Amino acid sequence: MWSAGRGRAAGPALLGVLLALSLPGGRAAKTDVGLVTCGSVLKLLNTQHRVRLHSHDIKYGSGSGQQSVTGVEASDDANSYWRIRGGTEGGCPRGSPVRCGQAVRLTHVLTGKNLHTHHFRSPLSGNQEVSAFGEDGEGDDLDLWTVRCSGQHWEREAAVRFQHVGTSVFLSVTGEQYGSPIRGQHEVHGMASASAHNKWKAMEGIFIKPSPDAPGGHDEL
Amino acid sequence: RDFYKILGVPRSASIKDIKKAYRKLALQLHPDRNPDDPRAQEKFQDLGAAYEVLSDSEKRKQYDTYGEEGLKDGHQSSHGDIFSHFFGDFGFMFGGTPRQQDRNIPRGSDIIVDLEVTLEEVYAGNFVEVVRNKPVARQAPGKRKCNCRQEMRTTQLGPGRFQMTQEVVCDECPNVKLVNEERTLEVEIEPGVRDGMEYPFIGEGEPHVDGEPGDLRFRIKVVKHSIFERRGDDLYTNVTISLVESLVGFDMDITHLDGHKVHISRDKITRPGAKLWKKGEGLPNFDNNNIKGSLIITFDVDFPKEQLSEEAREGIKQLLKQGSVQKVYNGLQGY
Repeated sequence: MWSAGRGRAAGPALLGVLLALSLPGGRAAKTDVGLVTCGSVLKLLNTQHRVRLHSHDIKYGSGSGQQSVTGVEASDDANSYWRIRGGTEGGCPRGSPVRCGQAVRLTHVLTGKNLHTHHFRSPLSGNQEVSAFGEDGEGDDLDLWTVRCSGQHWEREAAVRFQHVGTSVFLSVTGEQYGSPIRGQHEVHGMASASAHNKWKAMEGIFIKPSPDAPGGHDEL
Repeated sequence: RDFYKILGVPRSASIKDIKKAYRKLALQLHPDRNPDDPRAQEKFQDLGAAYEVLSDSEKRKQYDTYGEEGLKDGHQSSHGDIFSHFFGDFGFMFGGTPRQQDRNIPRGSDIIVDLEVTLEEVYAGNFVEVVRNKPVARQAPGKRKCNCRQEMRTTQLGPGRFQMTQEVVCDECPNVKLVNEERTLEVEIEPGVRDGMEYPFIGEGEPHVDGEPGDLRFRIKVVKHSIFERRGDDLYTNVTISLVESLVGFDMDITHLDGHKVHISRDKITRPGAKLWKKGEGLPNFDNNNIKGSLIITFDVDFPKEQLSEEAREGIKQLLKQGSVQKVYNGLQGY
């Protein structure tokens, strides 16, 4: 497991770098690239339009009437955090790196609803509406998204696409903006073809390091 | 300095033991917690140096061979940084009194992250390494507008004629910009931890440009196990035995969460639903790891699936020498 090996080696090296700095704030150097693992909580930035995937307790006024999902410019909004989970209960244990081609669910941390899409039109552009659906992280089959990336695993530094398992659309932003009460937020919708509009990169977050051994860890003792 | 003695661990201690020892002692030895001890700062520094060396496999090897003088780079113990790996940015909570000093300082959002934990980890404990990448408010050149508010302005238009207008008035503050920074955090899964317990990291939540950052809290979520069920500190499990074993007895081992074997030996008849209590084979108690709950094993019996031949039926009747017992009663009401 070369990726786990890299993660382990970086730990002590990072400690060394941190200790070398005497700034009280501890301005840390970037850790090595690293993989996105299940159980991690993160913000996703659309690389084309520079907005972060976001949701909040505001429902669409049209389409399905479900909780809306938008793109925001701010980098410090807690409502932009999403949790990466496997497709099924126990399907992706904590710390397992997400593989390219794997189906995941993205659960909105503050409202417990899953990133979701279905055959409704989005309010501004008429593409496919993307909403947040479910209760406490449990929704339905339309919550599954395939991570499309090159290589073996989803790397934090990479821009990836999210393709919906049920309807095959790609999670996208094309620049339309809402008015009041969410002025300035961008529409997030599903589009049929892959393009620069549907590339997303992991930004701020809490990234669980890949686990060096399977849970059950007899080696630890 | 004897780093192993400072941490209170044997020379063969695993990295997990070292982290656990550091975390426990750091809370006890922090100077703010020992204001009356003149040597508190020194002891705390020693602790930081000990962890810095023993937690790094390279440095530990050097130390084991050459002692403290043999360490190549020496160590610039900015102990504050090591401490923040385990407890977060701004210090720590002592006895449940969070930073309540100044309610007027605006605070960024708290983030609660569910941390899935296996029963194996609840039994033996573990450390989860996590990379926290967060926006931090840093000084930038120039000024920015802050504390903006609406004020009424009165302007005189002429003799006896006034106009009141609303105006937005702002103060000037030092300019601030948000910069992404990363650090590694160590979350400890303590043995016996219960579902819903939280591990806070102060100051690791979302920033607030005009105030303090919020906190990051890890909330423990224990996942289902295919063999053991937890009830408090007790563990429950089921074992299916054959009809023969239930009648003549058997020997078996159950592999526990950390790999050790629990031996079961029966030479009497074991009826379906029979329960066996193994004291001390449950989970460690969170408050006192030396006390363990019990393991309760419930047996069920697997009856033969194929029908028995005439010969077998006769044989069994002869062997068991039982008459017909056909007692009819209300089992749902305890008769």
